[in-house]
Parts: sequence; C-alpha cells; structure tokens
Amino acid sequence: MIEVTDLTKDYGTVVAVQSVSFSVGKGEIVGFLGPNGAGKSTTLRILSGFLGATQGTVRIAGHDIVAAPLAARRSLGYMPESAPLYPEMRVSEYLLFRARLKEVPRAKRTLAVSEAMQRAGVAHMAGTVIQHLSKGYRQRVALADALVANPPLLILDEPTAGLDPNQIREVRALIKDLGQDRTVLLSTHILSEVEATCERAIVIDRGKLVAEGTIDELRARQKASTVSVRVRDPNANAEAAVSGIPGVSLVSTRQDEGATERRTLTLALDTGVDPDATIERIAAGLINNGIGVHALVPAKASLEQIFSELTQHERESETHGEKKDEASS
Amino acid sequence: MNGLIAVYRREVLSLWVTPLAWVLVTVFLLLQGAIFYSIIAHFTNMAEVSADSGPLQTYFGQESIFLLMSLLLVCPALSMRVFAEERRSGTIESLLTAPVTAAGVVLGKYAALLTTYMLIWAPTLLYVVILRKTGVVDWGVVGSSYLGLFGIGAAYLAIGTLMSALTKSQLVALLLTIFFVFGLFILGVGEYIFEPGLFRDICAHVSMMGQMEDFSRGILDLRRIVFDGSVTALGLFLTARVVDSWRWG
Repeated sequence: MIEVTDLTKDYGTVVAVQSVSFSVGKGEIVGFLGPNGAGKSTTLRILSGFLGATQGTVRIAGHDIVAAPLAARRSLGYMPESAPLYPEMRVSEYLLFRARLKEVPRAKRTLAVSEAMQRAGVAHMAGTVIQHLSKGYRQRVALADALVANPPLLILDEPTAGLDPNQIREVRALIKDLGQDRTVLLSTHILSEVEATCERAIVIDRGKLVAEGTIDELRARQKASTVSVRVRDPNANAEAAVSGIPGVSLVSTRQDEGATERRTLTLALDTGVDPDATIERIAAGLINNGIGVHALVPAKASLEQIFSELTQHERESETHGEKKDEASS
Repeated sequence: MNGLIAVYRREVLSLWVTPLAWVLVTVFLLLQGAIFYSIIAHFTNMAEVSADSGPLQTYFGQESIFLLMSLLLVCPALSMRVFAEERRSGTIESLLTAPVTAAGVVLGKYAALLTTYMLIWAPTLLYVVILRKTGVVDWGVVGSSYLGLFGIGAAYLAIGTLMSALTKSQLVALLLTIFFVFGLFILGVGEYIFEPGLFRDICAHVSMMGQMEDFSRGILDLRRIVFDGSVTALGLFLTARVVDSWRWG
C-alpha cells in the first residue's frame, strides 16, 4: 500500500529525514514511532503529498506521488497533526465540502458524510459550528474528513494528541475497527498507543529508521528485563543477598515511605539467563537470608524501554562518530 | 482544475458567514452613497446638463477618483485572508492533500473573491434605477462602466491573491496589496504630471482613472481590457507557482 524508498528531506541546513525506506502492506495497522522532532510529521507530510521529498520515491497504492499525484492522493485519507479545520463552517458543511473536494460522486455525498460522521462519533454535532467544538471533537471531525471518501489507506498524524483518556480509548478502538478493512499508518510518540492499536511499528529517530518489526519482534530486541522486589528487610542485607546471584544486577533501592524496614529493589536480569529460574533464585536467596518477600514482580519488557534503548543507542553511536545503520542490523 | 468548484463554493460561503464581507459592503455602500448623493445634489442645482456628462458619467468617470479610492481599500481587504489565513491556521495542509491542483485551488478562490466583489457592487445598481425614475439612462454607459469596474477589480484582486499567498499574515498581505494597487493608481496619476513622452504614455495606459473616464463615456478600449486581463493572468499564474512552491519549503 505504501512503498517508501530512500526518502530524504532536507530543509537547507537541517536534514529532517535521511534515507528512510519502509513499506506498509495492505490491511496492516502500522505505528510510526519516534520522539518529538524525529521527522515523523515530515515523513507523513511527504507521503500525503503536502511536501516534496528531496530524494527518494514514494508509491501510494501503486501510484508514484510525483508522477501521479492526484491518483495517489485519491487513494489516501490524511489527518494532519493538530487537525486544522475551518472554524466558521458547520461540521456537516465542512465534511460535505471535503467530500466534494475528494470527488465523492454527487449522489453518494450526503450518505458518505453521514456515514463518516457516524463512524467518527460526531453525528450529533453535525449542525455545530466548528469553532464551538472542543479539541476532542475537532480531532474526530478531522478523522471523519479522512474517512469521508472511503479511501483504502489512512494516514493519521498523532490522532490522539490532546485528547483525554476516555477519548483516547475511543479513538484507538475506532482505529482498530477501521483497520479491519483498510490500511492504517499512524504516527505517535506514545508507545502504549502502538501496543494498543498496531500490529507493527516503524521506529524513527533523528530522521533515520532505527527499527522496524512487529511488537513482539521489537520486544525481543530488548537487552534486559527487570524484576521489582518489595521486601521487609530488618537487617538491611537484601542488597547483599541478591548481589551474589548470577545474571542479576541491582539497579536501584528505594526505601518505602513510613516503614523503615521496607524497601523496593529493582533488579536487572542479564540477557541470556533464563528469567524464571533466576527469579526463583532471587526469591530463595532473599528468604534464606531472613528477608520477608512481599512482592516479586517481573516487569514485562515495555516498549518504552525498548524505545528509549533504540533511540538512545543511536544517539550514543552518533556522538562517538560511528555511522551505524540500526535498520540493517 | 480539480477542486475548483468545491473551493469556490466554500470560499463564497466562508466570506459571507464571517463578518468581513458584511463590514466591507457596509463601509463601501456608505462611501458610495455619500459620493452619489453629492453628485446628485450638485446636478439638481444645474440648469442644463450635456448628454456626455450626466450624473452617471460623473459618478463612474470624472469623479471616479473617489470610487477608486474606496476600491484601493476594499479589494485588498477582501483578498488578504484568502491564502494567508489557510497557511496560518494550517488548513492549507488538508486542502492541498486532497486531489486538487494548484490551478484549481487558485482559480476557485479567486473566482469566489470576484463574485463577492460583484455582489458588493450590485446594490449600486439602485442608483441607476433612481436616475431612471427621473430621467433618461444610457444603458450602454451603464454596461461599459460596470465592465470597467469589473476589470479594475479583477486586476486588484489578482494582485491581492498573490500577496496573500506570499505571507502567513493577513496584515502583511493587506499592506503589500495596498502598496501595489496604490502604486499602480499613482502611476496612472502620472498622466497629469509628466511631460508628453514615453513615460506619460505608459502612465496613461495603466491609469485606472483614465480607464473609468473612457468606459463611463461608453468607449470600450480593448487596450484597457487587455491590460486588466494581463495583470489578472500574471497575478494568478504567479500565485499558482507560489502554491506549488510550498511543497518544496
């Protein structure tokens, strides 16, 4: 559905996107992930045809965006970051205008607009002037706009930015629902969003692709997992008790508030060790030293951690002056 | 030309649901009413009127400086937001990612401005009706006078559209447009200042006042129409190029 080859965009002195290549297959929901300023919006703007690339090619549904821009734009619904809308128009007026602009046939326009409003959950706001809408509703109107011509591909730039938790949940459910019969590429800097909605993620940092794969594949890239242990430790020897266990290193110790004997240890497990057996050894080591174990929680490898490792690593290798292509490793 | 009709319809709606067009039409009609009233008051005190300089000819022709001065404000104010506001608020991004061409967007917006411009003039037809009640009206003069105003408006609005595309600030667009249309107007005044020669001929050729004087006598000079058309075409062509250039910004 999307094929990006060697995409580069530079703004004179600043290189926003550098030799990025990826592809998104039909029917996938893909998260486009990166810290703020990584080049996510720039890439999506190029895909949507708003910006031109300095180098490289982009094909949308088989159409080259330079050679056949109208055909490419007809096959995608794009929701820009911050959902810009005309404040003076009513919701239904605006969507009708967008449907006309996107060449929805006259006979189907009214139906297309009401369906898009229904799906985005703004049907009861049809007659409201956009400037009186809350941020959440504006976001949904922009989403309805992306849907109105029923395109096979949706490109959503930070679709949940600025929403409250309930709205975020609703929008995520909607995206999952939409993903059943079309391709969705959404950008975000929130990792739980990718975990909640996407099958696959593309991670970009400082304009370069640093990782790509399914959520599980990304999780497998994680170097170490952690275990958090809450203990009653009257003799203050818990740290010593765990330090001897192979494959375990102490990350931090925190005194629990109000209870001097209680503390929480965060332990990192080295890669390569069997996590279950190591946790058993930790428990045994603590109990044998007369320490009361209140909780032993293995932290599920969070994407947050992987993400910061991926983007951090890139930064370190850059400061060392090494050119390391994470994407190919 | 993809998108022309949709953009046109939205733009007209947008102009008339916001206060801008209404404020402009009110100010404009107050000014025109005052000018027309003073002309009528002037003519009621005259014993004899020659066929070539009746109230209509005076309004559209000899005294057209007042009328043009009001256009020097109305046209730039009408066109200032047309692209600047879209770029400031970011809506340009949704607009240009729809299957539209730069030409379609520019012409759609421009046609909406021109329509609004004509709607702002429409009530002045009442003046003609009033004159018709009390005397004879030369319809040829009425037609050619409005054609002259149409040509001037078309050129001014094309300049304004270009200026609005060049900046994200409505105020800057307004000032730039006033600068250019006022410059064009002043250049025309040069006809009465400079010694006969090439420069004076150029001034006479581009003079908006000269154009209205000719047209208000029913003289349809093709050169005037070609000049208005050229300014309009150049302005719109450049605007379309500017819109295309945003992709590379």
